[in-house]
Amino acid sequence: MTLTTPWRKAFRDFCQEGVRTVLVVLAIALGIAGFATVLSAYAILTRELNDGYLATNPASATLWTDRVDDELLGALLAKGGVVEAEARRVVSGRIKARPGDWRPLQLFVVKDYAKIRVSKLVPQQGAWPPAPGELLIERDAFQVAHVRIRDAVTVKIAEGEERTLRVSGSVHDVGQAQARMEQIVYGYIGVETLALLGEEPSLDQLKLVVAGDRFDETHVRSVAADVKLWVESRGHPVRHMEVPSPGKHPHADIMGVLLLAQAGFGLFAVALSGILVVNLLTALMASQLRQIGVMKAIGGTGAQIAYIYLGQALLLGVAATAVAVPAGILGARAMCLAMAVFLNFDITSFAVPAWVYLLEGAVGLVVPLLAAAHPVWRGSSVSVREALADVGVAQNVFGTTAFDRALAGLGGVPRPLLLALRNSFRRRARMALTLVTLAAGGLFFMSALNIRGSMIYTLDRMFGAMKFDVIATFAAPVPIEKMERAARSTPGVTAQEGWITTEASIARPGEELEAVEAGAPEAPAGGPHGAGGHPANRFTVVALPAATAFQGLQIEEGRGLRKDDTNAIVINTRLAAKEPGLKVGSELSLRMGHRPMSFRIVGKTREPFAPATAYIPRAHLDQLGGGMLAGMTNSVRLAIEKDRQDPDSMTGLKAKLEESLLQEGLRASSIASKGERRVGFDEHMRMIYVFLVVVSCILGGVGGLGLMTTMSLNVLERRREVGVLRAIGASPSAVSLIVLTEAGLIVVLSWALSALVAWPVSKGLGDLLMTGMFGTGLDFVFEPRGPLVWLGVCLLLAALAGALPAWRAARLSVREALAHE
Amino acid sequence: MGPLIELRKVGKSYAMPAGALPALQEIDLEIGRGEFAAIVGKSGSGKSTLLNLIGGIDRPSQGEIRVAGVSVHDASENALARWRGKSVGVVFQFFQLLPTLTTVENVMLPMDFCDARPPRERRPHALELLDLVGIAEQADKLPSALSGGQQQRAAIARALANDPLVVLADEPTGNLDSVTARSVLDLFRKLTGRGTTVVIATHERDISGLIDRSVELNDGRVVSQ
Repeated sequence: MTLTTPWRKAFRDFCQEGVRTVLVVLAIALGIAGFATVLSAYAILTRELNDGYLATNPASATLWTDRVDDELLGALLAKGGVVEAEARRVVSGRIKARPGDWRPLQLFVVKDYAKIRVSKLVPQQGAWPPAPGELLIERDAFQVAHVRIRDAVTVKIAEGEERTLRVSGSVHDVGQAQARMEQIVYGYIGVETLALLGEEPSLDQLKLVVAGDRFDETHVRSVAADVKLWVESRGHPVRHMEVPSPGKHPHADIMGVLLLAQAGFGLFAVALSGILVVNLLTALMASQLRQIGVMKAIGGTGAQIAYIYLGQALLLGVAATAVAVPAGILGARAMCLAMAVFLNFDITSFAVPAWVYLLEGAVGLVVPLLAAAHPVWRGSSVSVREALADVGVAQNVFGTTAFDRALAGLGGVPRPLLLALRNSFRRRARMALTLVTLAAGGLFFMSALNIRGSMIYTLDRMFGAMKFDVIATFAAPVPIEKMERAARSTPGVTAQEGWITTEASIARPGEELEAVEAGAPEAPAGGPHGAGGHPANRFTVVALPAATAFQGLQIEEGRGLRKDDTNAIVINTRLAAKEPGLKVGSELSLRMGHRPMSFRIVGKTREPFAPATAYIPRAHLDQLGGGMLAGMTNSVRLAIEKDRQDPDSMTGLKAKLEESLLQEGLRASSIASKGERRVGFDEHMRMIYVFLVVVSCILGGVGGLGLMTTMSLNVLERRREVGVLRAIGASPSAVSLIVLTEAGLIVVLSWALSALVAWPVSKGLGDLLMTGMFGTGLDFVFEPRGPLVWLGVCLLLAALAGALPAWRAARLSVREALAHE
Repeated sequence: MGPLIELRKVGKSYAMPAGALPALQEIDLEIGRGEFAAIVGKSGSGKSTLLNLIGGIDRPSQGEIRVAGVSVHDASENALARWRGKSVGVVFQFFQLLPTLTTVENVMLPMDFCDARPPRERRPHALELLDLVGIAEQADKLPSALSGGQQQRAAIARALANDPLVVLADEPTGNLDSVTARSVLDLFRKLTGRGTTVVIATHERDISGLIDRSVELNDGRVVSQ
């Protein structure tokens, strides 16, 4: 096929622009690559996550009852409505690989590993199944447990004795969150091993897969409700029932939100790169105005001429897309691998669906065309006489506006600097667009640092409100008196308080009672979503001593607890977000134990990232418990001497505390330092921070390329002026300095612009991200290093962007420069 | 048969900060088919403006302009562009070849714009025209590789691309040495022999032997014709 002459012109002009074309192509490619990375990753991850999850044959519903045996399972399968049914059990405990180094443990008990049909596990390494006295560990949890296959580890659950188990192998449990993020060790044992650990060798979870449409939530709920009634009719009380979103990995939604947010930023980067197209095409149209006039004079219509320049924009898009799509594929692979680790699943195929390529191609081609539309329309609609006279868009006379005159009135600065300053403002539209792209990069960079600083500060405040250093929890309430003796005999412990932590759910009219034992242990330590957290409708209730010195609630609304309070309750922000109906001043009926209890909400405390929690007076709980809980505790908070807070001292102290508790006949189900609890939160925050830094790098890159394009165009258009400068005695270095100063002025202005709006934008962005992910905003702090570091980056960008145009300007001979038309 | 170019009471003024500046006033002019006419006058007398009005490059402030029966004064920009592409060939003082197109491609461009010939005939026709103006061997060179005279010949070939009725040339020899200028004018003369009307604007007075008639302008008015 032969190209028509207009297309040949488009293609050759595209090539002739050389360095500028490369810069613009790179900038667009950077934006599209970012977008393509996220879009491809989204397509791969959603497919692989759900496929991988479905491959495990996840349970449609899980029921918690007293005992699930083979007879019950057989009868249930025979009854119909259910195609698979299996018994399981989950127990919490601790695991120790090194002396004193206990880690939270969740043990999943399976009766027969050879016959797992529901929520399947995938063996990875070592022996399968685990023999009695052995346990498998989830592949990601090895780093939390600090163990290796074939190691002997000490495990302890609830009231049981410490037992030594052998790690026989690793397993992949797709349905679990990343162990490192949650700071929990997931272990898998058989029923015999459960007995070895001192627990009754029975299973209490009924996992079932419904017959019929297992992806129809209404159908699943209906079958599960029938099964619940049926199980209860056979004399097994059902404590709780869970129906997860059918066929959807538990983390699919949060991943989707995160990736869509990233795709949004990717599109923003593409849009910013479009600004470069505007600059390039505007300059091109201006420089070719006379050519446009000639083409019109020889018969070209406005539309035909517009096609030529739109053709160039299209070529920019084609070149950028050609670079960006492979880069996007590589980026998507890297991102998928990182996300797969984060979400703990395997990717079997990196194949990208065709619709992703089509969308990437469409964005890559349409954005440059849209960006070019205005300058091309403006340039091609100039009348032929104006175009031939070259006074249309090509010339922008400096000095016609008040701003120009104000600039002209500036005095007291060296003339080369004045020249650079005034030159910067000659192409105001170009200047503004360059400032916007650069400022966007700076804004995101500063926002990344501000949000990181704010996340740390928010966590500092949240953990700072906890005036204790170590938490020891017990499977059942223990006498405070004994606990106090144990604490006193542990060197380094300066104070202790005995709390009661339990779970509750809101009692809603018409809902069946869901029994939660008052005094049931709190969930093990975990990150913000806490894999060891509560089922969806339950939350933590903490009964605080009247004069607690260990919990400084940050009251956001209403008030805190008072010594004389009875049925007062303070809810935290997460609970308020989860249950929007809960208002300060309103009544709240909770199910704790086997009966509803009435409370009045007196305040709301700010606890960003913490699980949904409510605080009540300890005395009132004692009273409601009929005195059974008086003098007892299941959750002990201890303050430690400041010089024993380092990890090694803390490990030693925890070991000594454990020993002291044992001497008192108390077995803690977990002993964790506040620092250990924080690790999971820090891991989650790091993910967000890294995302923001990557976005700011992309936007900064686009901005930097934009500045290079602008400087290149500015120098190109002023070649004749450079000749004049040289003719009147300017040395090459003086010319270079003027160009570099102009670049410096632009970056300093962009820096000032981004620094000015960084505060409100980072706060808004941080709140938006955090609210979307955790239902709460940030305690905002401005990170002063942000503007300083970005200024350094800007000056570096100015040096880089100005260097080549400055060098070119300096080596222009006077004759060449003056001959330039 | 009436004149090919007909101007009636044509005036043109430009808005300036100090008020309207008249460039042409009360121009009545007729130029016949196959005529070689020169518009002469001093710099600023209105020669280029008159040429631009005839070619539809500019619009008159008053009066009527007809070229080959087309009312140039009231046609739209796009209609004028198409008409110009087919009926008028324009030659500029500074040649104005598009620098990224080769010589032959420059000549083919008006054919592409006007879709005047089937695509496969365009290059042979362009080569014929380059041969006519004597630079066929330069066909595949970029304008930057051509001398001034060669560039102007290429510009004339481009002006002839769609076999126009009229060729308008604004100072076509103003940037050429005298020998080359003479050869370019000879070329125009040759074109009129083919029935093409040629109107040039020039300040050179020593061309009386080559042209059919001369229209002299002074301060925007025709002082002799």
